[in-house]
Amino acid sequence: MHDSYSKVSGLIFDIKEFALHDGEGIRTTVFLKGCPLRCIWCHNPEGLSPKPELSVKKNRCRNCGLCQKGCSHEECKGLNRCLHICPDNLVERIGTYIDSDTLARKLLKQCDFLNACGGGITFSGGEPLLQHEFLCDVIKKLKGKVHIAIETSGFAPSDIFKKVIQLCDFVYMDLKIADKEKHIKFTGADNSVILQNAEILKSSGIPSTFSVPMIPGITDSEENLAEIRKIAGDTPIRYLKYNPLAGAKYDNIGKEFLYKESK
Amino acid sequence: MKKSVYDYYIITREHRALRSPLSAEFVSEYTKTDLSPDERVCRRFEIVCKNEQPKIHPDEKIVLVRTVCDVKDCFSEEEWAEIKKDHYIHELGYVSNLSLDYERVLQTGLLSIKENATEYQARVIDAIIDLCDRYKEEAAKMGRNDIVEVLTQVPRYKARNFYEALQFFRILHYSLWLEGDYHNTVGRFDMYMYPYLEADMKKGLYTEESALELLEDFFISFNKDSDIYPGVQQGDNGQSMVLGGSDLEGNYYFNTLSKLCLVASRNLKLIDPKINLRVCKNTPVEIYELATELTKVGLGFPQYNNDDVVIPGLIKMGYAPEDAIEYTVAACWEFIIPKVGNDIANIGALNFPQVVNNALRSENFDSFDDLMLSVKAGITAECDKITSSINNVWFAPSPFLDLLRSGRKYNNFGIHGCGISCAADSLAAVKKYVFDEKKFSLERIIKAIDDNFESDPELLHVLRHEAPKMGGDDSDASTEMSCIITEMFADALEGKKNCLGGIWRAGTGTAMFYLWHARNLGATADGRLAHEALGTNFSPTLTAKVNGPVSVIEAFSSQNFKRILNGGPLTLEFASSIFADDSSISKVAALIRYFIARGGHQLQLNAVNADVLKSAQKTPEEFRQLVVRIWGWSAYFIELDKEFQDHVISRQEYTV
Repeated sequence: MHDSYSKVSGLIFDIKEFALHDGEGIRTTVFLKGCPLRCIWCHNPEGLSPKPELSVKKNRCRNCGLCQKGCSHEECKGLNRCLHICPDNLVERIGTYIDSDTLARKLLKQCDFLNACGGGITFSGGEPLLQHEFLCDVIKKLKGKVHIAIETSGFAPSDIFKKVIQLCDFVYMDLKIADKEKHIKFTGADNSVILQNAEILKSSGIPSTFSVPMIPGITDSEENLAEIRKIAGDTPIRYLKYNPLAGAKYDNIGKEFLYKESK
Repeated sequence: MKKSVYDYYIITREHRALRSPLSAEFVSEYTKTDLSPDERVCRRFEIVCKNEQPKIHPDEKIVLVRTVCDVKDCFSEEEWAEIKKDHYIHELGYVSNLSLDYERVLQTGLLSIKENATEYQARVIDAIIDLCDRYKEEAAKMGRNDIVEVLTQVPRYKARNFYEALQFFRILHYSLWLEGDYHNTVGRFDMYMYPYLEADMKKGLYTEESALELLEDFFISFNKDSDIYPGVQQGDNGQSMVLGGSDLEGNYYFNTLSKLCLVASRNLKLIDPKINLRVCKNTPVEIYELATELTKVGLGFPQYNNDDVVIPGLIKMGYAPEDAIEYTVAACWEFIIPKVGNDIANIGALNFPQVVNNALRSENFDSFDDLMLSVKAGITAECDKITSSINNVWFAPSPFLDLLRSGRKYNNFGIHGCGISCAADSLAAVKKYVFDEKKFSLERIIKAIDDNFESDPELLHVLRHEAPKMGGDDSDASTEMSCIITEMFADALEGKKNCLGGIWRAGTGTAMFYLWHARNLGATADGRLAHEALGTNFSPTLTAKVNGPVSVIEAFSSQNFKRILNGGPLTLEFASSIFADDSSISKVAALIRYFIARGGHQLQLNAVNADVLKSAQKTPEEFRQLVVRIWGWSAYFIELDKEFQDHVISRQEYTV
């Protein structure tokens, strides 16, 4: 729900506490919803759409039929399901609108803890830059109080990219596929702007690391990795293991998982 | 410790085949109706000692293992029924859950103690010395001069070195179990044992490595006979060991032996001894990290106890400062005083959710405050009922155990507080939906509780999945309720005296009541269905969707623990996968320090893998060594009743 008094509102789909792999120390990671890329191996498919969407965890469903009996809730209109009836909470709306004040206040509550253990807050997604106004607004409210990191695909207009990274204490940026044609084939987008932003990041002086998802048969070829190392230059690279369970979430939101791991 | 010893006692458990039951003829010798209780207990001790067969594994250093099993009780069921007519009998009726003065006996020897002993005590001393002499003969036959030398000195005379002290402890502990006393805790082992090790290390007799080897051999001894010790489930045997601790000035003590105990437990991965660690704001980070290495192996050890809260809390309750700093834990987590304490820390349990359920239907409420007055009255009435039902407590005689007492300075009784999160979430939900938002009527909630939500699935969904939960959404609302009801609990017991002249202590533990109370508890206003289990100890409700460990810690460290200090930890369950990379140790350690800094009183962490547990239910034979934490103790998973297994599987589990 949009808060009438708030300046900027954003759509998030999760806040994860005690994230140990999203940057230095213990972190709280905020996942912003919506992504311009369509990587076929995506392990957060619920982060793709820039709108709230319905998730039904069918594998645990007892088929009691309660959610399809019809209801009068405003927020259930058009879903053909009721969000407020499932005894096992398997029917959920993914994506919550939250204004920057509320989110910042929520995150600030944990700052003492995060600071004490050398951690901070990470903004991930989806692609956080897609909601750059909201993102900048939240970060400005946190700036100086806690360490801020971002995880981005780097797929955003360069002026926006520049604006956001300048507010961050650390940047993780993906380098998935060096070859332009293959990048288009597997992510749905041209990587020219990503490569351009990689250069901006490298020369920015902001502490950063490039992330390479190791997708069997797509990104993990020696040829691709060699190219990526060239692009990265002196900037460190982290290699992220492919999550073989990634496909499970697609069914919940009625999407098809296109990537099939082949040996 | 030699691997052969571990294999023999832990893997193949061949020693169990050497046991035989005590014959009926012997049993009749100590159960004759004309014998006094003292005579019976003493005579049984003598008879069992006489029937014990010395068995020494060729590679072990610490000896004594039980070969007599199925030792019948000294009293028949009819006799117990007769005793119960005039007395309150706590659990099995034998003395349990104390932390005794091993230190004094190690420093003097049994012969010296015998000089001031009663007739019965002198007889049990003679019996155990005789058994040890037969062990010595057996050792001599095997050419084990090291054991012969140790048993020539102890238990007759004082321990002169680390080896003798460990063997002496084993003899004392073995004798307690043999007498019928149970939940025999180990106490502040690193404090009373360290002088022996320190002196030996100064003489160059041990390196850390060789001391560890002997310590591991000693740790095995806690597991040799534990399957014949009494308990609610296998593993519930109270062999708690406490390490580290601070003094009144906040100086923190943690010595080489403290460290070696953590390492030995990590190496052996055994359910006994159960490791506790006392910590405070001055505990160095490295100690937390060393302890987290132990958490990582999945035994549910160590349990953390916060000196900054516990010591002042005990003093506030009336324990002398010099005793409070010596505190240790009973079988699970109850804070007790070693040597001079005679507390019964687990004598009853308050069923918080039942009180709330009763209060909801007690009258028509105009305001939430009125409802809370009714909750307070219910808690007070329930506490009155428990306290007034416990009079004239009687224990079977314990001549051997009494030798290890150094007083009965404290005679306080402790009451567990079961289902706190369920009750707090229920009240927060009623406040929000009935009184603040006026979304549902109280009648509707009561009706749904009465028919287990069958006719009101919408209400079930909202209460179960959308309402405030401690550690989840709207956590502050629930947490506030938990603070209020725990204060009410403390108020209800404040100023009351028990039948031994001691006070009543309120606590946050559940023991097995998280299942027992739940059996007869209908549905609750937090959306819990009838008979669904409650959380263990001071933990989130099983079905609550929590935000993560940081929110849970914040919710469960906000209460005034100095007033509800009988014990009962917050339990955090981590998926074992979070320990996959090395940096996780320091990160988990940082989380624990946060809990301590926030003034939480007690914390217990588990590393679990629900998939592994489910596999173990299917093919138990492949998972014989799989250990899980239950409520204040750890157990071999496959030896538990399914009810307990299922609860472990359904607890909160955090992944990253």
